[in-house]
Amino acid sequence: MNRRRTVVLAAVLTLAGAVAGCSNINSTSSTSTGSTGGTTPAGTSSSTGSATVDTSQCGSKPGVKATGTPIALGAIATNQPGTSFTDIPNMAKAYFDCVNANGGVNGHPIKYYIETEQTNPAQVAADARQLVQSDHVLGVVGSTSIIECSVNSGYWQKTGYYVIDSGIAPECYSTPNSAAVNMGPRYSSDGAVQYALSQHVNKIVFDQSNVPGTGYIAAGPNALAKAAHTPIVQLTENVPITDANSVAIKEVDDAGPNGAVVLNFTPPEALIILQAAQKLGLENRVKLWGCSTPCNTDFLATSLGSKWNGKLFVNAELTPPDGTGTTAMNLYKAILSQYGKSVQGGIGSFSQMGFTEAEIAVHALQSINGAYTVQSVNAAFKAVKDFDTGMLCQAWTYGSYPLHIPNNSDYTVTPSDGKMTTAQGCTQISAVDPQIAQYRGAAGTAPNAS
Amino acid sequence: MPPWSNFEPFVVSGLALGGVYALSGVGLVVLYRATGVLYLAFGAVGALGALTAWSLAQAGAPGWLTWLACVAVAAAVTLGYGTLFGPALAKRDPLVKAVATIGLTLVLYGLMDLLWTTSGGQARSLTLPTDNSGFTIGQITVTDTQVIALAAGVVLTAATATFLRFTKLGTAMRAMANDREITATLGVPVRRVEAAAWLGCGILAGIAGLLLADLVALDATTLTFLVISSLAAVLIARLRSIALTFAAALVVGLLHDLLTPVVSLSNYRDMTPFVIAAIGLLVLSRHRVMVQSREGA
Repeated sequence: MNRRRTVVLAAVLTLAGAVAGCSNINSTSSTSTGSTGGTTPAGTSSSTGSATVDTSQCGSKPGVKATGTPIALGAIATNQPGTSFTDIPNMAKAYFDCVNANGGVNGHPIKYYIETEQTNPAQVAADARQLVQSDHVLGVVGSTSIIECSVNSGYWQKTGYYVIDSGIAPECYSTPNSAAVNMGPRYSSDGAVQYALSQHVNKIVFDQSNVPGTGYIAAGPNALAKAAHTPIVQLTENVPITDANSVAIKEVDDAGPNGAVVLNFTPPEALIILQAAQKLGLENRVKLWGCSTPCNTDFLATSLGSKWNGKLFVNAELTPPDGTGTTAMNLYKAILSQYGKSVQGGIGSFSQMGFTEAEIAVHALQSINGAYTVQSVNAAFKAVKDFDTGMLCQAWTYGSYPLHIPNNSDYTVTPSDGKMTTAQGCTQISAVDPQIAQYRGAAGTAPNAS
Repeated sequence: MPPWSNFEPFVVSGLALGGVYALSGVGLVVLYRATGVLYLAFGAVGALGALTAWSLAQAGAPGWLTWLACVAVAAAVTLGYGTLFGPALAKRDPLVKAVATIGLTLVLYGLMDLLWTTSGGQARSLTLPTDNSGFTIGQITVTDTQVIALAAGVVLTAATATFLRFTKLGTAMRAMANDREITATLGVPVRRVEAAAWLGCGILAGIAGLLLADLVALDATTLTFLVISSLAAVLIARLRSIALTFAAALVVGLLHDLLTPVVSLSNYRDMTPFVIAAIGLLVLSRHRVMVQSREGA
């Protein structure tokens, strides 16, 4: 009987370990979003906003359905429990649907294929081949995946595709065939640290998820702090975080009263740290708190409440949608309202990214005079220069560069009674980060958006 | 090694976490003793209850109703599972029973992902009014929620131990733990006793889910797999002793948090439950072998 019980106990311990392993796999993927992938700012604004522009502006022939030969485009997006980026290609699809209903691209409708993946490299590689060999896509637009850039960058170079995406992995920014509309976790963290340094803090504590790629991300904030002669403490946390109180206490203790704590986590993880700090009365024990783009969400602002007004400063990679009434922003809201039924997050950074990527792609496709082929479409993508998207601080350029960081100027927002409001307008990410310096050395500094 | 003052804040958070682990562990032990089922879906049903409470709160429901709903949902799901599958699994090996509850875990996990999607970066939280009140010890703020978490662990452990020892239903549960068939032949309504154990376990899962959603995070993945920390305590208690479960849970919570300021070990502190469980089992096995050797001699 005792022996049997021991066998059961041992088996249960093993099972528990296996279940824990599953948990870690999931959570790692999940946090990668925030850290490796923190770039994909969840930036979700819950406001609905009213559109004053109708969707007939999507195409050159309002109300006329495009009937020409379809132009096939495709995307790969992560979609797994806890981590879904499908809102981005879904919003791109909404834009393309709008274009198709209003004359298309020179009369051609866009046929859009969305492949989803679950952080499995073999699957991600197969998805790329599916798009190219089976779906015969002419271009790749709207991809957002934790590992897609890492897995497929070589394939895109070999096949001559110039991808327009939302970047997460380092390869989304450091290879010739990928150009993202967002900044990614490293440059977004740079922005948050840069803001903290501008407020004359005497120490930075930079905390992020303990996932592959943290060293790459940390290199940016390290360089900025070093240039400012400000000490920086690098921390990493296993995710999901199960002891937020401890994490918050450790961060505050390390930063000191005139220091800053800067977080690079997904919104749920950042929220539990900030809430733990609030419960323990730690929010005022440091000079300020900072966060990379994933914290730019009204969900987070609402959950935190007014204690964080003017205390938490969040990097924002895209133009805040609240209170912005530009033509592009109104068109985005109108398309989302009419065609974006599958965009679950509604107004926010994810859908803004999808809109921007589709907008750039359509702009490029319209410039093609001859046949639509893989060569002509990707040449047009690569030729995009100084395009004012209406969603970014700067004009957006692809170009022939060994690396692409076309979005390198950002906003800073802060919670204000349940909403994120602008604390600082467009500010260039410092070229003290060697990657930014390298990019600007190659591509120059883009003009400001109008 | 950092000075002791650096560890002091982590004692409070560790004890609070340990208290909820103890609560979960007690629920697991009671159910195991009555039915032979190691309920690995304990965390998932707590998470389901907490997310339901969140949805009700978003819809404007008063706080007390959301808390009740959390406990009710966890209790209903647990009782439903026990009523539906308990009899069929009654004569199966304990390992089969445990694995069957992983099935429930996965179903609930998928359901939560479907109903409370994370697309778009939604960040949810469930806060209790006791978060805003508390007291200070030195430089350490102790919230009333932390006090409640530890107190709940102590009170429910004591209450459950008393219940099992002094009530008729408790005695029946203990009898079933020894031999279900003989207990049945003595006229004990085993189905009813098992149902009571499932219901009690579900209620504890709901309470733990509510407290952990506040103390840790309102996230399906986190809450579902937090049961592992309680499992460590349960294993050290060899699925029998409620008092030992309580003590082991406190040690797990405390040690886990006390490792936070130790830079070289901080990122490995999530291994604490496994390490403690492994050491506990080894020590207990060695002790038993020595006792048996002495008896043999």
